[in-house]
Amino acid sequence: MRTKGEVVFFAVCVAFFGFMGAQAVALMGEGRAGEIGSALWPLIALLASFGLSGVLLVKALRSQRSTAAAETAAAGEAGETRRRRRAVVLSTTCFFAYLWAITLLGFILATLFFVPAFAFALGERRVKVLVASPLILTAVMAAVFLKFLSIPFPKGVGVFAAFSRLFY
Amino acid sequence: MLEIYAQAFATVLLPQNLLAMVLGALWGLLAGALPGISTSMGVVLILSFTYTLSPMTAFVLLVGAYLGGITGGGITSILFGIPGEPSSVPTVIEGHALAKEGQAATAMWTYLLCSIFGGLFSVLFMIVATPLIADFALRFGPAEYFALTILGLSVVSGLSGGSMLKGFLSCFLGLFLATIGTDGITGEERFTFGTVTLLGGVNFVVAMVGLLAVSEIMIEAEEPFKEYKGMVEYRGLLRELPRFSLFRKYWLTMIRSPIIGTIVGALPGAGATIAAFLAYGEAARTAKHEPQRFGKGAIEGLMAAECANNASTGGSMTILLSLGIPGSNTTAMLVAAFMIHGMQPGPLLLSQRPDIIYGIFVAMIVINLLLLVVTGTAIRLFLQLNRLPYSVFSAAILILCVVGAFGINNSVDDMMLMFVFSLIGYFMRKFGVPVAPCILALVLGDLAELSLRRALLLSGGSPLGLVSSPISAVLLLGALVSIVYPLIKKPKMLGTS
Repeated sequence: MRTKGEVVFFAVCVAFFGFMGAQAVALMGEGRAGEIGSALWPLIALLASFGLSGVLLVKALRSQRSTAAAETAAAGEAGETRRRRRAVVLSTTCFFAYLWAITLLGFILATLFFVPAFAFALGERRVKVLVASPLILTAVMAAVFLKFLSIPFPKGVGVFAAFSRLFY
Repeated sequence: MLEIYAQAFATVLLPQNLLAMVLGALWGLLAGALPGISTSMGVVLILSFTYTLSPMTAFVLLVGAYLGGITGGGITSILFGIPGEPSSVPTVIEGHALAKEGQAATAMWTYLLCSIFGGLFSVLFMIVATPLIADFALRFGPAEYFALTILGLSVVSGLSGGSMLKGFLSCFLGLFLATIGTDGITGEERFTFGTVTLLGGVNFVVAMVGLLAVSEIMIEAEEPFKEYKGMVEYRGLLRELPRFSLFRKYWLTMIRSPIIGTIVGALPGAGATIAAFLAYGEAARTAKHEPQRFGKGAIEGLMAAECANNASTGGSMTILLSLGIPGSNTTAMLVAAFMIHGMQPGPLLLSQRPDIIYGIFVAMIVINLLLLVVTGTAIRLFLQLNRLPYSVFSAAILILCVVGAFGINNSVDDMMLMFVFSLIGYFMRKFGVPVAPCILALVLGDLAELSLRRALLLSGGSPLGLVSSPISAVLLLGALVSIVYPLIKKPKMLGTS
C-alpha cells in the first residue's frame, strides 16, 4: 500500500514543483552584470526538487511492480489500514474544525468543544476524562494565554463574542 | 583582571540580581519549552519589565531568559517530540526516540548536563578567546556565509534518512519555501499568488510547528488507543544520573560539539540552529559507537546537539558585546535592551562600561549553574506530565501548537498555514522524506540566497568569487565531502523525522 501511496505522493510532488517552476520562470528578468534577479534561486531549488521527485517517482513505480504480488498477499491487513486511516481522518478533521471554530465561537468555547471531540476521535471512552479534561484544560489555557500572556485570540461572532468578552 | 572579575561577581550576586537571574531563567525555561513561544519571544515579553530596572539587573534578567530559553527547548523536545526552538530539532529526533523507549529520565539528564557543559564551555572559551573569535568572524563576507549555509544544509541532507535523494528533496523544498514572499533585494513578490498572508514569507515557526509537532500527533493517531502517553519511571537522582563513563565514552563529541557551537554561534545569523545541526551531523558522520542508532535514539546525537546548541550562546554574546553584531534573533533583542539603557554594544562599550560586559560574562556562568539546579529539580515534575491521559495530552499539544502559530503575528491565517504544513509533514513522514532538512533549509534559505546574490554582485557575476577566499573554499569543500562521503561509506541513518 505504501508503494502505491508513494507513487501518488511523488507524482503530486512532480506536478507541484513543475507548476511552481513555471511560475519561477515568469519571474526572470534582465539585471546588471553580476546581478541575479528574483528568479534564479527559487528556480534552482524547484528544478532540483522537480528532478529529485521525478527520480523518486520512477523508483516508486519500479518497486510497485515488484511488490504487486506481495500486496495481494497482505490483503488481510486491509481492516487495520482502514482503522488507521479513519483515525487520522477523524482527528485531522477535528483539528481543522477547531481552527475554523476559533474564529466563529472564540478560543474558550472552541477549546471546550475541541478537547472531548479530539479525545473521542483518538478512541478515548472514559467518561470522567471526557467530562473533566475540557474544563481543566480550557481553564489552564485561558489563564496562561489569555490572561497572563494576553494573546488576543479571536472572540467569535454574535452571541459567542459576548460570551468571550466575559473572560477576555 | 582578577579584580574586575571579583567586582563583577560581587555585583552579580547582589540579592536583586540573583532574583532577576532566577526569574529570567525560569521564564526562559517556560518560553523555550512551549512550542511557538520562542526564546526571542520570551526575551521580548520581559523586555518591557526592564525599563525601570538598573542596567545590570535588566541584563541579568534578559540573559537569564535567553539561556533558559535555549535550555528549555530540550524539555518538550525529549518528552513530547515538540521542538520549542528550531535548534532543538536534532534533540527531538534522538531525545524523543529515547523517551519512547522508556529512557526519558536518562535522556533528560544527559540533555541537561550536556546543555550546561556546552554553556559553561562557551562562556569560558568566550572569556579567553573573545578577541580571536571576533577577528575570525570579521573576515566573513557574503561568499563565506553562503558556503557556511551550504555546508550546514549538505551535512544534514546528506545524512538524513535511508535515502539521500529524499533528504535533498526535503532540503530543496525548504529552500523553495524560504523564497516565498517579498524578495529582500528587488522587492518583487514571489509565489504569493496575490495573498497578503504570504507577502512576509513563510514563518519558520509556523512551518516548524506544523511539520514536526502536529504531524507527529497525526502519525500517532494511527496507533491503537493507549490510555497514557507513556509510563516513565523515575528512580531517584542517583539512579537516573548518567554515569561518568557515558561522557568518557563520547569524549570527542563532548569536546568537539561545544567548539562547533561556540564558533558557529559567533557567526552572525548562523546561531544555535546551525550549530546544533552541524554538531549533530558531525557526530553522526564520525560515530564509532552504535552509528545505526542515529535517528532512532542515539544518545551521542543528543549530546552533540545540546552541547553545541547551548555553546552557541557564548559565541553569539561574544560578537554582540565585542562588535555590536547580533548573532541571533535573541541577541538582536538584547541590542534593543542596550539601547533602552542608553548604551551601544560594540568595541567602545568594553572600555566605557567594563562593569556591564564582565558582569554579563559572570552572570552567564552563574545562570548556567542555576539552570542545572532549577531544571534538575524540575525534571521529576516534567516527567509526571507523561502520565496524563494520552488523548487529552495530544489535544493539549495541539492547542499549544495553535497558540504558537497564532501568537507570532496574532493571525488566523498563520493557524491555517500551520495546518497545511502539518498535512505536508504527515505525508513526508509517511513516505520516508525527512522533515529536518526542510526546516533547516527554510530557516537558512534567506541567508543562503542573499549571501549568494551579494557575493556574485561583488565578484561581477563570476562564480569563482564564491571560492576566492580560503575560508569559503574550505567550507564548500566540506560541503562536497559531506555529500560524497555518505555515498562512499554506508550512510548512517538519521531517521525520517
